[in-house]
Amino acid sequence: MIETRDLVKAYGSTVAVDHVDLRVEEGSVYGLVGPNGAGKTTLLGLLAGLRQPDSGTQRIEASRGEIAVLSDTPRFDAWLTGREVVALAARLMVGEVDDGRVQEVLEESGIEDAADRAVAGYSRGMLQRLGVAATVVGSPRLVLLDEPASALDPLGRREVLDLVSRLRGTATVLFSSHILADVQEVCDTVGIMDRGKLLFQGPITDLLVGSAVPSYLVRLRPPVEPVVEALKAHDWVVGVEQRGSEEVVVRVDRLEDVESRLAPALAAAGARVVSLGPEAVSLEQAFLELTR
Amino acid sequence: MSLWRLEWLRLIRTKRWIALVGVFVFFGLLGPLTARYLGEIIDFAGGELEGATIEFPPPVPADGMTQFVSNAMQIGTLVAVIVAAGALAFDAIPEMGVFLRTRVESVREILVPRVVVTTAAVLVAFLLGAFTAWYETWALIGAPDAGAVMAGIGFGLIFLVFVIALVAMIAGRAKSVLGTVMIAVVVLLVMPIIGVVEAVGRWLPTHLAGALGALPAGAAEASDYAGAVVVTTLAIVLFLWLAVRLAEHREL
Repeated sequence: MIETRDLVKAYGSTVAVDHVDLRVEEGSVYGLVGPNGAGKTTLLGLLAGLRQPDSGTQRIEASRGEIAVLSDTPRFDAWLTGREVVALAARLMVGEVDDGRVQEVLEESGIEDAADRAVAGYSRGMLQRLGVAATVVGSPRLVLLDEPASALDPLGRREVLDLVSRLRGTATVLFSSHILADVQEVCDTVGIMDRGKLLFQGPITDLLVGSAVPSYLVRLRPPVEPVVEALKAHDWVVGVEQRGSEEVVVRVDRLEDVESRLAPALAAAGARVVSLGPEAVSLEQAFLELTR
Repeated sequence: MSLWRLEWLRLIRTKRWIALVGVFVFFGLLGPLTARYLGEIIDFAGGELEGATIEFPPPVPADGMTQFVSNAMQIGTLVAVIVAAGALAFDAIPEMGVFLRTRVESVREILVPRVVVTTAAVLVAFLLGAFTAWYETWALIGAPDAGAVMAGIGFGLIFLVFVIALVAMIAGRAKSVLGTVMIAVVVLLVMPIIGVVEAVGRWLPTHLAGALGALPAGAAEASDYAGAVVVTTLAIVLFLWLAVRLAEHREL
């Protein structure tokens, strides 16, 4: 659905998008993750046609009328009602206004009660929901969402994530966020950006398995310091990290080493082991390792 | 809800139409009134200045239109600039620009209704003001030459279209509504200063703004404005083309 090659966009000496090769498959929900200033918004702006790249190419298999874009803090003419904003979006995208469809997306977005009030009285969260309604009303094939849940309270965030989930199968979604839990929940593919570069893209499972160093979490009775020192002496141990007074994370190059050698090493160190097992890698940890 | 209806609602709901019609009609009422009763007003205020007696010649019909033009084409043009900037600087709030720009094939679809509706509103307001001034001049002082008034109104309309086109072009570059207004006002203020040189001034768009006063007074012929009409028409076409080009190439 989207393919960019060597895409570059610079502002003076700052390279906002640095030779990015993005690939978004049709029907996928792609999460673009990165810290503030990573270049996510600029990349979305390039894909939306709001900015021109300095070099590189981009191919989008959807016409202008099939693409819907939602900015991070949507704003609308304050004297329009919410219903009129959605009707305007529908008219511009599909050329006609189906009142039933407008009502449906207003209800899905949770703003039907305020739909006939002027937008001037809307809170930031309501504007975000209205933006989502105006985005999906035209049943777009490609949806570009820039931090769509950033301004919402937990309930509103839940509703927006549900809405994004419901788009799966009917539209391709490219969804930027710095809230990793949101991405982990609704996206099947992830791209990690930092300082304009796309550091990783692929299925989330590949990221969690492939990017992190194999590690084991060991829970044991105090004192743990002698055990930490004893483990560090082994050449197959890459690193040992003490977490609190009862946990140790052991990092190795190969899982086979830890599976065959960790238990004897702990026993030799006189450790009183409560439990041990592979440490579950979160998207946050994988993200931090990639962007560190 | 189309982009045309959006512009209509902008005029109605923001009450901008009241500002436009109000300022031109107000001066349409006030101009002939002051022309007719200026002598009486001065007499009422004492009629003397450090011993000198101020006497005014009896008012003539052209005075009513001159009074209207001298006020309406300054304050009225300023209001027109503000109203136009509010509609045409649609990228001033980038999120609003994103909403519209990503839903149309060409920026022209956004720009055309804004230019047309704003221009129509400004022209209608000016016409209402001019006809009010004309009627009141006829009622209070006497009938000015109809041909001269009609020609003057026509030149005034061309000048106001130029003002909207100028604002549209500036809005394509400026980053805010206020910035658009300020730049447009500076351009409109500089032109009459340049126009002090008569050989230059008769070619400038601002020359057309005073035609509704000068023509009924017999101070100028319609043909004296031919050069300014040509230059202004060319400028309108150029500015509107630039407005589209600048808006198309603008990055958000």
